[in-house]
Amino acid sequence: MNASPGAAPLIEAKGLTRTYRMGASNVVGVSGIDLVVASGELATLKGASGSGKSTLLALLAGLDQPTSGSLTVAGNDLQKATEAELTRYRRDVTGIVFQSFNLLPTLTVLENVCLPALLAGKPYEETRSKASGVVEWLGLRERRDHLPSQLSGGEMQRTAIARALINDPRLLLADEPTGNLDSRNGAIVIELLAELNRASGRTVVIATHGDMADAYATMQITLKDGAIHKILRK
Amino acid sequence: MRQFTLFLRLFNWFTVRMLKRHRWRVLTVLLGISLGAAVFTSVRLSIGASLDAFTRSMDLIAGKADWTVTHHGGRVPEEFVAPLLRAPGVAAASPILTAYVHPAEDRGSESGMEAPPFLLVGIDPILDRAVRSWGVEGGGPGRISGGTDLITDPGAILIGKPLAELLRLKTNDRLPLERLRSAQKFRVAGELTTEGLGLAEGGKIAVADIATLQEFTGLIGVVDRIDILLKPTATKQDVERIRSLLPPGVVLERPSEARESGKMMIRSYRLNLSVLSFVSLFVGMFLVYSLIALNARARRRELAILRSIGATPRMIFLLFLTEGGLFGVFGWLAALPISTFMVRRLLSGISGAISHLFVRVSIDRLNLDPWEIALSLAATTGISALAAYQPAREAMRASPREAIDAEGGDGAERTSPRRLAALGALLIASVWPISRAPSPPELPLPGYIATFLLFSGFSLLSPWCLQFVGTRVPPLLRRIQGEPAYLAGRYVRDAGTRTAISVGALITAMALFTALATMVHSFRKTVDNWANESISGDLFIRHQMSETNQYRDPLPEEVVRKLIEIRGRGGVDILPYRRIPLRFGGHPYHYEALDMDVFRRRSRFLFVRGDAARALEKLARGEGVLASEVFASKTGLGVGDRYRAVVEGVAIDLPIVGIARDYRTQGGVVWHSLRALEALTGKREWTGARMFLSGSTEQERSAATENLRSELIRDCAERYPVAVTTGKDLRGEIMRIFDETFAVTTVLLLIALLVAALGITTTLTLLVIERKRQLNTLAAIGAGRNQLRSMILWESLLMVGVGEAVGLACGFALSYILIFVINRQSFGWTFIYSTDWSSVLMSLPLILLTALVAAIPAIRLVLGYSPAMALKE
Amino acid sequence: MMMLGCMGRTAILMLALFVMGWWLGEPAVSRAEDPDYPRITGPCNCHFPKDHGPHPDYKTEWWYYTGNLKSVDGRRFGFQLTFFRSRVLPPGAEASWPDPKSAWRAPQVILAHAALTDIDGKRFLHAEEMARAALGMAGASIEPATGAVDIFVKDWRVRITPETHELRAAADDFGLDLDALPERPPVLHGDAGYSLKGSTPERSSCYYSFTRLKTTGDIILNGEALPVTGESWMDHEFSSAPLEPGIAGWNWWSIQLANGSDLMIYLLRKSDGTFHPASGGTLVDARGKAVHLGADDVRAEATGSWKSPHSGAVYPERWKIFIHPKAGDKELSLTVAPNLQDQEMRTPGTTGVTYWEGSISVEGSMNDAPVKGVGYMELTGYEKAFDAPM
Repeated sequence: MNASPGAAPLIEAKGLTRTYRMGASNVVGVSGIDLVVASGELATLKGASGSGKSTLLALLAGLDQPTSGSLTVAGNDLQKATEAELTRYRRDVTGIVFQSFNLLPTLTVLENVCLPALLAGKPYEETRSKASGVVEWLGLRERRDHLPSQLSGGEMQRTAIARALINDPRLLLADEPTGNLDSRNGAIVIELLAELNRASGRTVVIATHGDMADAYATMQITLKDGAIHKILRK
Repeated sequence: MRQFTLFLRLFNWFTVRMLKRHRWRVLTVLLGISLGAAVFTSVRLSIGASLDAFTRSMDLIAGKADWTVTHHGGRVPEEFVAPLLRAPGVAAASPILTAYVHPAEDRGSESGMEAPPFLLVGIDPILDRAVRSWGVEGGGPGRISGGTDLITDPGAILIGKPLAELLRLKTNDRLPLERLRSAQKFRVAGELTTEGLGLAEGGKIAVADIATLQEFTGLIGVVDRIDILLKPTATKQDVERIRSLLPPGVVLERPSEARESGKMMIRSYRLNLSVLSFVSLFVGMFLVYSLIALNARARRRELAILRSIGATPRMIFLLFLTEGGLFGVFGWLAALPISTFMVRRLLSGISGAISHLFVRVSIDRLNLDPWEIALSLAATTGISALAAYQPAREAMRASPREAIDAEGGDGAERTSPRRLAALGALLIASVWPISRAPSPPELPLPGYIATFLLFSGFSLLSPWCLQFVGTRVPPLLRRIQGEPAYLAGRYVRDAGTRTAISVGALITAMALFTALATMVHSFRKTVDNWANESISGDLFIRHQMSETNQYRDPLPEEVVRKLIEIRGRGGVDILPYRRIPLRFGGHPYHYEALDMDVFRRRSRFLFVRGDAARALEKLARGEGVLASEVFASKTGLGVGDRYRAVVEGVAIDLPIVGIARDYRTQGGVVWHSLRALEALTGKREWTGARMFLSGSTEQERSAATENLRSELIRDCAERYPVAVTTGKDLRGEIMRIFDETFAVTTVLLLIALLVAALGITTTLTLLVIERKRQLNTLAAIGAGRNQLRSMILWESLLMVGVGEAVGLACGFALSYILIFVINRQSFGWTFIYSTDWSSVLMSLPLILLTALVAAIPAIRLVLGYSPAMALKE
Repeated sequence: MMMLGCMGRTAILMLALFVMGWWLGEPAVSRAEDPDYPRITGPCNCHFPKDHGPHPDYKTEWWYYTGNLKSVDGRRFGFQLTFFRSRVLPPGAEASWPDPKSAWRAPQVILAHAALTDIDGKRFLHAEEMARAALGMAGASIEPATGAVDIFVKDWRVRITPETHELRAAADDFGLDLDALPERPPVLHGDAGYSLKGSTPERSSCYYSFTRLKTTGDIILNGEALPVTGESWMDHEFSSAPLEPGIAGWNWWSIQLANGSDLMIYLLRKSDGTFHPASGGTLVDARGKAVHLGADDVRAEATGSWKSPHSGAVYPERWKIFIHPKAGDKELSLTVAPNLQDQEMRTPGTTGVTYWEGSISVEGSMNDAPVKGVGYMELTGYEKAFDAPM
């Protein structure tokens, strides 16, 4: 489903700023970001390294909190959220796929996928069967009980996607999902993300260097030096 | 409930699987913990067994008695038995006479080992029936046939089963017991049944008729005490009337008093040893801390991932805390077989120490007290969980942001070494005032607290010291050893708290060793010095088995006369003394009256307080008394305070004129002038005498000593139960007893040292493993194997250097606390501080070697990685 | 002089000897005799008051008192107080004692049994004491000057003076404080006191009795002293010889008839239930003349029994006794009944023996004239046979 104008925006950022202390100096991650992303969009986030892509993504994912400004995602005020609220947000509202897969090395594929749901308090049996379904849909059935060390890059990323999906998040974030994959697997991953956006109307934000996602994107956000450089809408 | 199963599942997936991958590390840590737990458990069980054996024995020997008639420091005349039997309210009165006796030599050699002394109990089987329970194997109910044999046969004894087994005796066998110069043969009339008296002293007991015992020991006319059983209808007036029957000096008291004071002493010893053994457990903390800290640091990324997918900080905290607790539990389980082995070894050492120090115990069985088991489990798990606490908290702080490789801090050190060092210095500074705090009796709590503060303080100093060394030394190193050494220095500087753990283990090991060596050396030297100064003399004569039988029996009059005759000949100085065991407010001690004139000529008090010259003057005139250090610390009396006691029925009230050292076991001593005592009591009674011979050469003196010894043996020891010992043998005996007593303490500290050594190896290895990425990067950019090896070696050297230096300082401070605080607070005595420089200096290269040996597996691990690994991930 | 025959008052003799043997740990029945102790092989030549005192070289000796008493308000009591002297070492063994020797080394042990039967209150109380004769704890002695005899253990004692016998005993729940005055001179049994008690001459003792003692004094019961009067019987016997094998136990009676006659009967029971030919008795007439009774002169039948709830022993407590002495002309037919069923003495602390000893009432006829009397009966060997292995 495409974005329906007039529906409440999923993501709303006003004057969003995040700065860090490193030693004695302040480093600016992002500054003064104003952004509105409607529900159902597939947005790509572009910019050179150091442009603040990762910072913005981290803020959207609830992995980090703004220093100033406001950020509301799916009705959750992330600026004012407490640690517990952020944890819940991360669990229930977003799913994130990392560049370096970030699977837990001592858990099997299935266990990795189940984990966010279990952490959310869902019953084990129910979660297992749901995870099995997702794993199967992603073509990982033979790899269900393998450890990450036994998987190829593409399989690991698909596992990561499955994990990101298990709690039915409204917002799916991906940080350079193809960065560690070859072009074929990269294409598969982008297609999967696009499919998820199309089929279930999930909002997807992909931070990426390349242009593989451009074909599917409904908006393109470019950052430069921690601020919005330009936004293109299809 | 679901939370709990979730946690368990997560624990299994995350922690347990990882632990399974690193078996060797886990096993090493478990070994360290189990050693500590085993020591702690074994010590407590051993002392518990002693306490148990003592209490049971005392109770079994006391029987059903309600009261007992006794004479402290002496014995009760037997003529009081009949009036007591007739006193209203008395259902039964049973006199008892006991003595520790020795099987004669040939019996001992038969069984292949030296037979220990055992308790021979003399009772009237007729009167005793109502008070104590005991029976003869093979005797029927109502029959006291063995009992009559005791009365009719002057040489009959009944022996306990364990004793029969030990000496390989059956009914009607002969058992020669040492008496005077010959052996008196006894006939085994039967075996005691396993009840009552037959169980006391671990069954190593024998029963004879009281007449037999009186004749054997020469104690005609007296009994140890008379145990009384009251009628159910007895009133308070009846008790008072009994009291009024007794002469001055003879008291009526509850039988439990002797037992309670013995129990109190053993209990405090148990507390002391518990804390000492706890050190081993405590040192095991390092191992757990380092492994869990390593886990937490190495898996920081995973922790960030967990946080990012919804795990709470609390969950992560619990994951690591539980890991710590698990180490504790499994370490404790592994300790069980080790404990079994250790207990057997410790049991004899500890019961021996207790027998020397306090009261005789003879252990026959080991009780597995469930509370003790629970305590050791709780202590082990608690310590491990505590060790995991800080890494768990640290892990809890893993930010989910770290999952995204964002720019930003990378877990920079939270606390600066400077701040830690400040805290450390503060802790160390507090050690002095805390150790001076008043301690509960016999429990050196302030001393122990000060010790732990000391360790913690010095450990906290180490990051700053490392930083200091790492900053100053590398430039020098570069000049000497080149780049690897420089890098080593830089690493040491920057690694901060990580390496501090290794160094902490090192400091502990070094400190323990130094402190131990110093303490043992100081102690031995002091006691040796004291023995030579204060227990001087060429020959000693005293009642046979006087120590074991508590000095209650004076020398026979004939012996005294012989000694006076010898004195009259000239050439020999005789120093007689009268020693009486008494109690001061519940504390047992010895009152000793000496011939002060001879003492001043021939011997010396080692004064701790008071003006020696003036004090001796007053002492000689009988105007004051001297107290030993132990007596002063136990009773709180000092120079100038008044000493009040009733000795031999006479009241003494004199000022204390000085405090002197004394290292006799079983309590403190108060010295008085013998002449003054004789004037007060009108009696001349000597417990023993020292003899000093003259001779211009050493040879002459030895010859004269030997001659006099033979003469005394011939004229006295043949006829009377006295023992004649040379001064050399006596002083050697004193040292041997002390060595045995301190053997236990030494063993405990050595085990702690072992655990600390394990700590060093483990932490160093883990450190290296942690850095494999860095090391691989170095290899990738061109560092050769030798250079890497050299770098790690230098790191170890620097860390060990810092560790040893700080440890040495800590060790000296610790030895000071051990000698002047802990020893003083638990036993009451202090030693002259004396360092064993040779041991200490030798230990430096030894510990260095241990650390370097630890580096070897680490190096091998490092060099096993291929540089390509640096690129992956 | 009373000829009481071979056995005479051997009841207690045997009891005591057995008791001593038991206590000494050897079945007394199996040893013929101890060669180290002096034996009695002929007339005892008793002279009084000297022979009221102890004969310390002999193995066993006792002074045995029983009696029936009445309080002022008519309550009836029976009492027993016995002092045993046991020599545990033969004379001469003392020579091998160590020197210096302990004051506890004494060759004599004194035991005592005391019992009180509260007939109307249907209560039986008994107690025992024991101590060795040393250090003032117990003793048996005679004052040569006055002839007073003192036998005591702890605070129990009997003091025999020419005037009276003073009896004192204090147990937990009862006490005796009695004076017994002999009404008749002592009766020597056997040949001037030499009384056979077995098949051979060595099995014998020296034995005499006071058959009637007028008794006054107090019984202490429940803490209060109760004045009483009545008649007692006293036995004094000593010997070194043990019991003959084959004897399971004995029955013994002492009876004081209202017409002035006294009767003592002793029946030795063999394992097969029949009576040994050495059994017998003595009959004393009102003037004090004693006639010996042989086994043929006495016939006794048990007519009732009682089972002890304490020990399980079954005691034949009711008897019919027929006396027809060959010598003399008295014929007695008596029915004996216990004044209380449970008068069982259990003495685990001293002798380990359980026996029945209690106050009895007697009635019947003597030479066809009705007679009544009181007395004491002793039944031994019913709990266990004496030669049963322990």
